[in-house]
Amino acid sequence: MKALVIDDSRTMRRIIGGILRPLGFDVVEAENGQDALDALEAGLDAELACVDWNMPVMDGLGFISAVRRERRWRDLTLVMVTTESEQSQIVRALAAGAHEYVIKPFTPDAIRDKLQLLGLVDLQETA
Amino acid sequence: MSEDMATPFDPGEWTDAADPVEAIASEVFAAMVDGEPGHLQPRSGPAPEPDDGLYAWVDVHGATRRRVLLTTERETATALTRALLGLSPDDTVDDDDIADAFGEVANVVGGNVKALVPDPGDLTLPEVAPTRPPAAAGLLHAVPFDWRGRPLVVSLWALP
Repeated sequence: MKALVIDDSRTMRRIIGGILRPLGFDVVEAENGQDALDALEAGLDAELACVDWNMPVMDGLGFISAVRRERRWRDLTLVMVTTESEQSQIVRALAAGAHEYVIKPFTPDAIRDKLQLLGLVDLQETA
Repeated sequence: MSEDMATPFDPGEWTDAADPVEAIASEVFAAMVDGEPGHLQPRSGPAPEPDDGLYAWVDVHGATRRRVLLTTERETATALTRALLGLSPDDTVDDDDIADAFGEVANVVGGNVKALVPDPGDLTLPEVAPTRPPAAAGLLHAVPFDWRGRPLVVSLWALP
């Protein structure tokens, strides 16, 4: 399984990647939404994208909206991982097409639990 | 705390004894940096001005314009970077690693502080510099901490 980790902070990409790899994901990093779209256009077959909100070039909301406009990427599961914690922002992200929403700061368990909820991992198997 | 400092965002929302900025910073460090609570403690008395400081900040541009600023010694930011990335004290981190990690901590603290602001608007991308940022009009609130015995300050500023 491939996962796209989209965040302008390489620290955050390393943290999220470090959570996903032991769960069996092959992690591909992107610095912003446009880089991630380019990777998908180039044929990256990812099942999961963890998407930051505030990024230069193309933000997370723009990326999610772009992905949702394309039927070929409809199987990509989108998890917004962001500091934007107001209810109105969560509603915006989910309305744009995010499947789940994780607020920074998060614990590794919070990410794992969301992925289990989405049916992407079985924590019993990976334990 | 002065009268101005007691009401950085919304006086009606800040009547509790708990300082929301202190609570946010504590949660960020417990979840992201340390993996457990207790390593970031409020400091009794002000923190000394750093000799070799590093400053990380984000701005909130909404109905009110605010800045959330983290201040510490470069050495502390380096230790913070190692803790965030799960590295040992012997692992090398470069200046870009430190700026990115310290900026991300400011981003997460600032993003959660933003939720306290009525009609908050947008959060800027984090900036990191070895000198205090310009254009901060006035200090609204400052919380001095000790993180693993090292001074670190989270402060809120009004922007012009």
